[in-house]
Amino acid sequence: MPDSGYPWPIETTRLDNGLRVVVSEDRTAPAVAVNLWYDVGSRHEPDGQTGFAHLFEHLMFEGSVNVAKTEHMKLVQGAGGSLNATTNPDRTNYFETVPAEHLELALWLEADRMGGLVPALTQETLDNQRDVVKNERRQRYENVPYGDAWLRLLPLLYPPGHPYHHATIGSMADLNAADLATFQAFHRTYYAPNNAVLTVVGDASAVEVFALADKYFGAIPARESIPAAPDGRHVPAAGAPVAETVTAAVPAPRVFVAHRTHPFGTPGYDVLTVLATVLGSGRGSRLYQRLADGERLAQPDLVGAYGVDLRHAPAPLIVTATARPGVTGERLAAGVAEVVDELATVPVTAAELDRAKALLSTAWWRQMSTVDGRADTLGRYATQFGDPAKAAERLPAWLAVTAEQIAELAAEALRAEDRVTLTYLPEETA
Amino acid sequence: MSLIADRPGPGLARLYRFPQVVRRDVAGGRVVAAHLPGQNLAVALLLLDAGAGREPVGREGLGAVLAKALEEGTAQRDATGYALAIEALGTELVTGLDWDSFQVSVQVPVGRLSAAVELLAEAVRTPRLDPDDVRRVRDDEATALRMDWANPGPRAEAALRADLFGAQNRWGRPMYGDPDSVAALDVEDVTVFHSEWFLRPGTLIVAGDLDRLDLDALGAAAFAGTGGGPVPPEGPIDVPLRAGRRILLVDRPGSVQSTLRLGHPSPHRAHPDHVPMTLAGTVLGGAFTSRLNHLIREVRGYTYGIRGDFASSRRFGRFAVSSGVQTAVTAPALVEAVGEITRTCVGGVTEDELAVARSWRAGQLSVELQSPRAIASALTTLVVHDLPDDHHARLRESLLAADVAEVSAAAATHLHPDSLTLVVEGDAALIRDELTATGLGEIVDAQP
Repeated sequence: MPDSGYPWPIETTRLDNGLRVVVSEDRTAPAVAVNLWYDVGSRHEPDGQTGFAHLFEHLMFEGSVNVAKTEHMKLVQGAGGSLNATTNPDRTNYFETVPAEHLELALWLEADRMGGLVPALTQETLDNQRDVVKNERRQRYENVPYGDAWLRLLPLLYPPGHPYHHATIGSMADLNAADLATFQAFHRTYYAPNNAVLTVVGDASAVEVFALADKYFGAIPARESIPAAPDGRHVPAAGAPVAETVTAAVPAPRVFVAHRTHPFGTPGYDVLTVLATVLGSGRGSRLYQRLADGERLAQPDLVGAYGVDLRHAPAPLIVTATARPGVTGERLAAGVAEVVDELATVPVTAAELDRAKALLSTAWWRQMSTVDGRADTLGRYATQFGDPAKAAERLPAWLAVTAEQIAELAAEALRAEDRVTLTYLPEETA
Repeated sequence: MSLIADRPGPGLARLYRFPQVVRRDVAGGRVVAAHLPGQNLAVALLLLDAGAGREPVGREGLGAVLAKALEEGTAQRDATGYALAIEALGTELVTGLDWDSFQVSVQVPVGRLSAAVELLAEAVRTPRLDPDDVRRVRDDEATALRMDWANPGPRAEAALRADLFGAQNRWGRPMYGDPDSVAALDVEDVTVFHSEWFLRPGTLIVAGDLDRLDLDALGAAAFAGTGGGPVPPEGPIDVPLRAGRRILLVDRPGSVQSTLRLGHPSPHRAHPDHVPMTLAGTVLGGAFTSRLNHLIREVRGYTYGIRGDFASSRRFGRFAVSSGVQTAVTAPALVEAVGEITRTCVGGVTEDELAVARSWRAGQLSVELQSPRAIASALTTLVVHDLPDDHHARLRESLLAADVAEVSAAAATHLHPDSLTLVVEGDAALIRDELTATGLGEIVDAQP
């Protein structure tokens, strides 16, 4: 068993304005990953403003005081780099990996949009990116079979007012209502150095990065008080199972079973991570063995289970299966429920546990095999746990999980009365 | 507050070197490896000359069905035993195929690679292929394709491919087959394809810390029990261009977006214009900053994204643009996309655009070649296209040396806006009249 999941150096500092800087030097290749985690996500969005954190992420690529519209992408790609950004309920992150000689360019670009976005933000840009995001919603959620499952599951799992009640993509109505002043205020409120972590991994030294960070970010003022998202740690139990059935243009019945478990980063969530792998990863998993191979209720490539790594409330476990021809949604849902129920009653064997841990080890080292994967991981632990070095603890924690802990977690968190079941049924064909 | 207004220039560049490549003949086969010192993870990939191009016409999807059937038990253990054995090492058996090759790979912590390669070889060389299992896998695969084809995209792709290359040819049919072609396969198709193409040694690709790996032992495991030499590759296919542009309309009632697939044939991979053609494609549609994405997404807001590129295999290639656009703007999006293709063909590229394209492509060679999986994939390219060990260094040089005249000439030679097939998959009742009004070409209803 490895002692550490992060055998590289980590150095940190904090600028006077509160920006935390994390550096992990690795000279293997002349490339460097730059990653900014802003501690703002869709959990901060009030009613009527769903989708704003994500739409805002788009605006961050559209220019700032010293960077003309369209120039951001052009400069990073013109330097040979890869770049992107993502928004989820917890946070928004921005990242680029560039040949090492362009590190300073990347830091300059990130500083300019952290400290100088608002004056460059125009109505035209907002209108354009609103249309782009609406097309993203159509493409990813509306125009594909089962595409809206996540949008339906969240409100079934979390009550109104809970920070995870709504999906990050937001509603079309709220996106249509978005006005420029709200976005200007959004930036002023949340895009402050003391609400962010800058991580640099790869071909650069800590001394060099700390100096550059101070040079480019040092003059950006801290913000005194950054409003917290609503507290979602305690979700009242529904007390009864929740089920929703959707009839839609889908090719076969599909079932999603979901439970609220524990927040990412807690011991309970480590157990959940191993449990989900035992249950739903690979052909040796219980779902595959029982439903795809054994009873042949489910399509083999479409069974799975995974935890959604969310930090600020009990995170969901999602279990899914799609019916083989001739199998009803009801029969499939009963089959999935049975396999989930058995996690509490049929002990996980040593072989099942070893298999899950081996798959998780590979997944961990795959994430660590690139500088960008490492930068994102360190940014997460610095933002959510106050210490990037805690990243090293995750893999050993998974490897220490026991069969007894899995049975206990299943008995506690996967009870039928706390279950959410979403079933898609094909429309009747004439 | 004072942000620094001046954009910093680059520091001193440190040269990227592709990992040291080792080629070795072992046990009748060949091992091609890259040394990744200190890397905890390793990948082994068995490359077989059994790509979709080897499937007989009418038997599309054979390779995909065989790929799944490999895991339904071997001479030594049943399907469950096999799954538990390989997953206990921390890997699944990953299969993939393209037009030129069939690939089976494992990815594990380096100390487990030898055991993982033994299991990989066991599945590839000695699968049970029990007739009942093969029939079940075939039916599952047909269902999986039917489900996939309920998404926007696969039907449009199939319509484009058939129109470009002719449905009478294997390469004019979908790479993974379609639900009907898979459903029609019989057990013997699968067993014959296996004995014909899966018992030749092939090439074992290894990416990992070679100080901790024994390439001879890995090769011996991968090639045990194999026989038959390589089959010489067939030459490039001469694909004629269409005489006029036309629109193929694939109906998808209720669709809130229209899926666009625009394309025409283009040269095969070994064509001497490969690099300037790639750069022309990059300026037009290959990067976020490309002409197509700039206009259709960043200016018009018609789409979440639009991409275009030249793709090539050993025997043929195609230029294609793909996107999903809001239904209401299908016609203007199509007109503007064709407009950008035409403008690039006629007017070439500018130095400003080319500067971004060439440094992006060159930079990607270091930025994106980090993980063992990415290195294994790069080695695969070397083997399939018979490229030298220093290919990446040479590619970098030729990308950086390409000038405006050369790339504009490639655009003029290899873009054919008047021969485009414009496939539109969307709600035909809502978009047909507007498409007609564009005058872009005759509208033909397609039902792939």
